Amino acid sequence: MTKRLFSKQSFLGIILVLSVAVLAGCGTAQTPAATEAPQPTVEQPSVITIAIPEDPPSFNAAISDSGYDALVMNLVLLGMTAIDPEGNVFPVLAAELPTEENGGVVVDNDAWTMDVTWKMRQDITWADGTPVTADDVLFTYQAIIDPNTGFWIPGIDLVTGVDKIDDYQFVIHFSSVYPAHLTIFGNRQVVIWPKHYCKAEQGFQSWDCGREPLSSGPFILEEWVTGDHLTFVRNPKYYEAGKPAIDQVIVKIVPDATVRETMIRMGDVDMLMWATEQVAANLKNVPDVQLSISPTNRFVMRLFINLAAKGSTDPEADPHPFFADVRVRQAIRAAVDVDAIASTVWHGYAIPVWTEFFRPPYDTCDIPRPKFDPQAAMALLEEAGWVDQDGNGIRECHGCANAQEGDEFRFELLTYAEYGEPLILTQQLIGEMLKNVGIQADLSQSQGSVMWADSASNGIEQNGNFDIDLYDDGYAGTDPTDFIWQYYNSGSAEPDMGWNIGRWKNEQMDELLNQAYILDEQERQNIFCQMAELLDEELPQILLFSTLNADAYSSRLSGVQANVNSVVSWNAADWTLIK
Amino acid sequence: MAFSQESKTATIAIQSFEGATTSQLIWKRFRRHPGAMAGSVVLIGLILAVLLAPLSPYDPEKSNTNERFQTPSWQHPMGTDALGRDLLTRVLYGGRISITVGLMVVAITLSLGVTMGAVAGYAGGMADSILMRITDAALSLPSLLVLILLSAILREVEIPFFQRNSVLTIALVIGLLSWMTFARLVRATFLTLRELDFVTASRCLGASPFQIVVSHILPNAIGPIIVECTLELGYAIIEESGLSFLGFGIQPPTPSWGNLLSNAQENFIRYPWLAIFPGLMIFLTIISVNYIGDGLRDAFDPYKVLQKAGEL
Amino acid sequence: MAQYIVRRLAQAVVLLFLLSILFFALVNLAPGGPLAGYGQIRRMPPEQVAALKRQLGLDKPLPFQYLVWLVGNDWMKVDVDGDGLGDSLGTRQGILRGDFGNSFRSRKPVVDELNIRLPNTLYLMAVTMLVALGIAIPIGVISAIKQYSPFDIAVTTFAFAGQALPEFWLGLILILIFYVWLKNPLTGDPLLPVGGIYTIGTPFSIADRIAHLILPVAAGSLGWLAWYSRFLRSSMLDVMNQDYLRTARAKGLSQRAVMFKHGLRNALIPLVTLLALDLPYLFSGAVFIEMLFSWPGMGLFYYQAALQRDYPVLMAILIIGGISIVLSNLLADVLYAYLDPRIRYS
Repeated sequence: MTKRLFSKQSFLGIILVLSVAVLAGCGTAQTPAATEAPQPTVEQPSVITIAIPEDPPSFNAAISDSGYDALVMNLVLLGMTAIDPEGNVFPVLAAELPTEENGGVVVDNDAWTMDVTWKMRQDITWADGTPVTADDVLFTYQAIIDPNTGFWIPGIDLVTGVDKIDDYQFVIHFSSVYPAHLTIFGNRQVVIWPKHYCKAEQGFQSWDCGREPLSSGPFILEEWVTGDHLTFVRNPKYYEAGKPAIDQVIVKIVPDATVRETMIRMGDVDMLMWATEQVAANLKNVPDVQLSISPTNRFVMRLFINLAAKGSTDPEADPHPFFADVRVRQAIRAAVDVDAIASTVWHGYAIPVWTEFFRPPYDTCDIPRPKFDPQAAMALLEEAGWVDQDGNGIRECHGCANAQEGDEFRFELLTYAEYGEPLILTQQLIGEMLKNVGIQADLSQSQGSVMWADSASNGIEQNGNFDIDLYDDGYAGTDPTDFIWQYYNSGSAEPDMGWNIGRWKNEQMDELLNQAYILDEQERQNIFCQMAELLDEELPQILLFSTLNADAYSSRLSGVQANVNSVVSWNAADWTLIK
Repeated sequence: MAFSQESKTATIAIQSFEGATTSQLIWKRFRRHPGAMAGSVVLIGLILAVLLAPLSPYDPEKSNTNERFQTPSWQHPMGTDALGRDLLTRVLYGGRISITVGLMVVAITLSLGVTMGAVAGYAGGMADSILMRITDAALSLPSLLVLILLSAILREVEIPFFQRNSVLTIALVIGLLSWMTFARLVRATFLTLRELDFVTASRCLGASPFQIVVSHILPNAIGPIIVECTLELGYAIIEESGLSFLGFGIQPPTPSWGNLLSNAQENFIRYPWLAIFPGLMIFLTIISVNYIGDGLRDAFDPYKVLQKAGEL
Repeated sequence: MAQYIVRRLAQAVVLLFLLSILFFALVNLAPGGPLAGYGQIRRMPPEQVAALKRQLGLDKPLPFQYLVWLVGNDWMKVDVDGDGLGDSLGTRQGILRGDFGNSFRSRKPVVDELNIRLPNTLYLMAVTMLVALGIAIPIGVISAIKQYSPFDIAVTTFAFAGQALPEFWLGLILILIFYVWLKNPLTGDPLLPVGGIYTIGTPFSIADRIAHLILPVAAGSLGWLAWYSRFLRSSMLDVMNQDYLRTARAKGLSQRAVMFKHGLRNALIPLVTLLALDLPYLFSGAVFIEMLFSWPGMGLFYYQAALQRDYPVLMAILIIGGISIVLSNLLADVLYAYLDPRIRYS
């Protein structure tokens, strides 16, 4: 008797538990991490929605650089300067850009140090009315350099101090001439934080104001439901009169790329940040969706060639059996048909690039475009001692420089999986093209977190565990010097000391790099062109093409401009709704 | 419940030794199951098709950039993909990989699970206790979560047989997390069977435990084991496709149904057939395998079948 | 029985402890690390990278890191500035005191994020399983009663089909049909929404919540539905042929009374234990469904953390998963004994 009661009870009990869970669900996703926001008084607020794949880690793009942090940061915070799509630096919090002509930049030619004096605008306030002053700049600087809780930003190790002159003027002391000094406190990643609102003791990396910011920019964070969405409303205290024109911006988290694309087609979202080539091609014929393409590109797909044998980091002791010979590298470059790859897999949006210096203002070097010429490639290979004598389509070493006699020319072409389908297909096409000239490339993929980890964590690149690595990179901002240093300087070839993972050590390049840290733009251009020629001869990396930087947006929006030097929200204050 | 079901099966399986040979009886009962027969036809057809994949005039990996994204037609019954490769060919080659992974998983789980279960069930006592603790611990792992991590680890390992991203690695990863059902099943069967008279008789006659297990007990436990094998095959294929979908399974350029599905996502709206066909293949394979499993279950369990025929 | 439960609980604690070590090993063995995910890892000078490692606690040997994860480091001095000497007390309390640590990615306590994600997953999975059960029980039972009827054959076929469909494929197809192709006849908008738990900016409305639930629940519950209905059918069939049912019929009770009073209840017993074993899915969630339908839950959280090697998040979710499985196994065994007097544990 009793047993039946219990079975019914237990069954009902489970139903009860599940029902409670359902009711609990009704209460979820309701509690916002809210900050007080002034309500817009307009009848029908204009709302736009941006879809991104994951939560921004925080509003502080300096510490994480996922891109989505920069997206939301640029909606609410301002830096001293910003960079426009063409690569020009313009003042934001600054009243004007300091130069040597106007006395803002003072170089000590003997000690080779530099002092830069900044004048700030006096009409910008935080959303609570407090003016933005030099105190905030000093506060931000102190937080960044704090030994316990600070974080590295590009150029900060060259700064010896920042001194306040008055409420709206301060001077930065540099220990060396630093060409990119204009954007040190104002770029895609770095903004100025409010001294009276952020708690210094919490530290730059984890302070609460990095998740509940106080705005100086066009919008104010109203609510952040993690994993779901962020809502922003117009900042009535924004310094540009009449802007922003949009009342509300919703940033929606949609993890699946197909769903994001579908949503913009259906009009459920108004903007897709970082539209891929495939999405761009898919949306080309959708009348309500436009594509804004950045006038310059940043990321260049390239073949990183290991000049040391796989598994070694010493190119002198263990030269790579195949690639230590520059003729082989030249052959590989000639064997790859970049146009074919760009027009098919990348839907025509990839632009062939063959030198690091392809972006204004340093794009005036006269490096001829390498020709796609499989015949020339084969001739080079034969000359380098790689001949196919056994007729199996793969060359063997017969008189080659670094391999054993009879060794097959067979290597591993590595790339990373998270990029997506186009990179995998590119890898395949390259493999086929190399096969056509008698080189066997075995294709394999790894993950970014393994490839780029440090040597202690078995990072593939830092440990030299690769033959050729196919992936993309490019320098942020307008100054390539640090980037070139990281990739081509001899010192950067030591494990964990940089990203010269091909272990290319060239004294001439080192010398040129040392000379490049000056302010004279003419002279720099000259130096860069010498570097370009050297790189073109030596080919430590084979550059292929630059990938698209574009954002898709609904036709009812106007003013959207993709910006590879920042993110699409760089001019959010200028967006308007035309429908 | 499971316990008593298996013991009943085992008991009656032995009793049915009287009369025609066991395999004949089992086959006869299997044939009476329409779903299982249909499933067998489909599965055999699929396996033949993937075995004959090399007969295809198209190369599954070579690109053909003039014929990209073509809709299904006579030349390309399933259309072409982003590099112009014939999808039918790739699906068939992918089937070889996916089914191979499935079969390897079955082999791994079978050997691991049967051994564990047999030793635990027959030996009893301390060995049983320890092995069951290990099984319980393995069952306590949240499987998909651990699968993701295990795959991330083993995929990068560079030791013989386990090159990066190989089929064997994925099969091993899935197999390591699914042998537990076999172990429990086999153990339950063994627990019942070892108490039966003929086993005691064999022991008295001097047969070694190994002989008893292999010659007497295993044959009688075959029924549920085979049924479980078919289910495991289906499960493994779905797990592989799920892992590949997340990016943790078989990596391109090796096609597998799972990564064909995941690659098709990007183009899903404009070219849906790229996703529909691989998914359809998975669906057909699993459903046939499940029907076959059901038929086998009925075939090995005469109690149920006799019920159907109204004899009980 | 009470003795049994206590013993099992003690075993559970030991098991969880061992599991936590296994999880920690797995998480740390996965090659690569969280630092690789920092975009500017390539620009940072090596000293900065080392400092970052130190801040995240990754510079210590693994057993020490595990210890800190377990019991925290607020009882010892931590070297903050890298000079090798301890400076200030640590800030972590360890998982035994409920501190899951800070996410490497957001630097915020993992538990804050879990507090949002876990209810979302519970909500979705509870509705999914309720829907699955709500349909599976009646059709499974009727299927058993009317064995071999057209209804039964249809249900069986449907069940087999449902188990053969990969979840993510079904999800994509559903999105294609109900979001892209079909339109709401009144408004011209897509028929069903395809992301999130509710429509942002609108006040709470049951209709809106239900609309957002339809597609993810449909995609997620099909597999469960198929499985449960098969199970229930087979369980009901077993029960229907038991001697005591025939005795009841012989005693003169009507078919209906026999079926529902005696048969159904006993058929549900195994289902109850099966449900108890499936409880962990309420917590770990369905990664595919959450990914496709932008549902901010635990499964998606784990997947993204796995890609970025966000160790504290991975450990937290793994241990929650482990706890839920261990406890639900215990619950299942206890329920089983409770309900079936033939089973008795010593």
